[in-house]
Amino acid sequence: MIKENNIKLIFLSLSLLLIILIFFFPFFWIITSSFKSPEEIIATSTTIIPRSFTLEHYNKILFNSDFFIYLKNSLIVSFLSMIISIILSVSAAYGLHKLKFYGNKFVEYSLLVTYAFPGVILLVPIYLLFAKVNLLNSYFALIIVNVLFATPFAVWMLKAFFKLIPNEIEEAAYIDGASRYIVISRIIVPLAAPGIASVAIFCFIISWTEYLFASILISGDNLKTLPVGLAGIVGQYQIDWGFLLSGAVLASLPVILLFVFIGKYFVSGLTEGAVK
Amino acid sequence: MKKNNIEGWLFVSPLVIWISLIILVPIYIAFELSLFNVKIIGTSGKFVGIDNYIKLFGKSKFVNASLNSFYWIIGNAICQTFFAFTIALTINYKFPGKKIMANWIILSFIIPTVVVVVIWKLMLSSSSGVINSVLIDIGLLDEATGFFSSPNKAFISLVLINSWRWSPFLALIILSGLNSINREMYDASKVDGANFVQQFLFITFPNLKSVLFVLGLVGTLLSFNIFDIIWLITKGGPSSATTTLPLLIYETAFTKFRISQAATLSIVTSFLLLLFSILFIKSMAPKEDD
Repeated sequence: MIKENNIKLIFLSLSLLLIILIFFFPFFWIITSSFKSPEEIIATSTTIIPRSFTLEHYNKILFNSDFFIYLKNSLIVSFLSMIISIILSVSAAYGLHKLKFYGNKFVEYSLLVTYAFPGVILLVPIYLLFAKVNLLNSYFALIIVNVLFATPFAVWMLKAFFKLIPNEIEEAAYIDGASRYIVISRIIVPLAAPGIASVAIFCFIISWTEYLFASILISGDNLKTLPVGLAGIVGQYQIDWGFLLSGAVLASLPVILLFVFIGKYFVSGLTEGAVK
Repeated sequence: MKKNNIEGWLFVSPLVIWISLIILVPIYIAFELSLFNVKIIGTSGKFVGIDNYIKLFGKSKFVNASLNSFYWIIGNAICQTFFAFTIALTINYKFPGKKIMANWIILSFIIPTVVVVVIWKLMLSSSSGVINSVLIDIGLLDEATGFFSSPNKAFISLVLINSWRWSPFLALIILSGLNSINREMYDASKVDGANFVQQFLFITFPNLKSVLFVLGLVGTLLSFNIFDIIWLITKGGPSSATTTLPLLIYETAFTKFRISQAATLSIVTSFLLLLFSILFIKSMAPKEDD
């Protein structure tokens, strides 16, 4: 018994070390590097503890680049995509959860497949379609696509959260004469609020990180999103690492901040409710 | 249970309509394009029937990209299963800092893919990358190596980077399956003298079936779908070694401007993936108990 516990402890410590090294160290590395002098970033001898400290890269990206334009675009697109996704998927998830109807299994599995639907297949035809209906170079073009990518999994997660709400509460409300609309807005949505919050973060992240469509559907500099703006620096022949790193840190900051406040709902939502 | 057809469809139809419009209309357009020979966007080319399809299967580029996609899916499945299970089983234990780790392990998933690219381009840089200098320091390498310079190294590096991004997210979903397993089963098996390897094989694994089904289906399709990580790091090179089908479609359409060829590729690819999904659901879907 004692021996087995020891083995477990060794395994646990080893895998913890591995996880920290692989999944957390890279973040330490780019954050500290973004404050290093340009010479230290590209020096051949790497130093774990930084030797220099400078704010010049942040200075440059904040006051000498289009960062704020890209940030504004990303915020608008992600926020609107999130709102629309939530409205559509709460409604669909409730329908799939509570109302058995002809074809519900088909809708459910189709959603699962669409979640993983390869966007690149749609890239060419969507580009042509949007060109025809004059949607290229608009926020709405990106929102349409983001909602498509976010909602299938959102429905899947929401359904799991709705399942956790005891049926009796809803039944009691109907006996008291409440309508379906009242039940959803006064009972289901408030009770599933943590779940809905975590799904909202998921939708926001999907839109925030989207690159492929944003790079094709938007060509005007004033409408580009952060990932596309950053990718422009990655593609340059001579990479200005300090500039790029500080941009990468700043582009991650909004999602990280969001995660600080409601991240625990997201994680507990994923680990306790989803996919059952 | 009573069927509730009209109301049920009323609730799902806004989303179903949105999704079907944005998927089916483009697929129809792609199908139409694949029957013509359109070279420049906005012009209508000559009708060529199934010519594009016949030509496609003879192209070594298509065969190469399909094989790359196949290896990409297998490689990612192996790496991500290993990482995701390691993370999930570790976090499932009690240790100080468990909550913080469980919350923040997903960091690699919530940041933009472009940032993932930046992180690993810097860490794996051949001239000043920290990985190279660590590998040299511990004696595994004699001199700095270019992780993206040879076909095999580039492919493996990309698989690892992509797994780095996705494994934590998958780990949390596995964790949800682990949480749903009745603790008493472990206690009972302990009384019967089972060790933790046996517990994993006979309790943990079978109880994760429905979670693993979703991961197997969605994970495969999602891996297939990866574009930006590969494109932004290697552009499909060196010598097309990392050109998977999504990259081939993108390249054909937006750098070579062969719109009809790209559309044909898209149709063939969707057909293959649909076939995979149907076969997978038919053969692996867990029996419904509710």
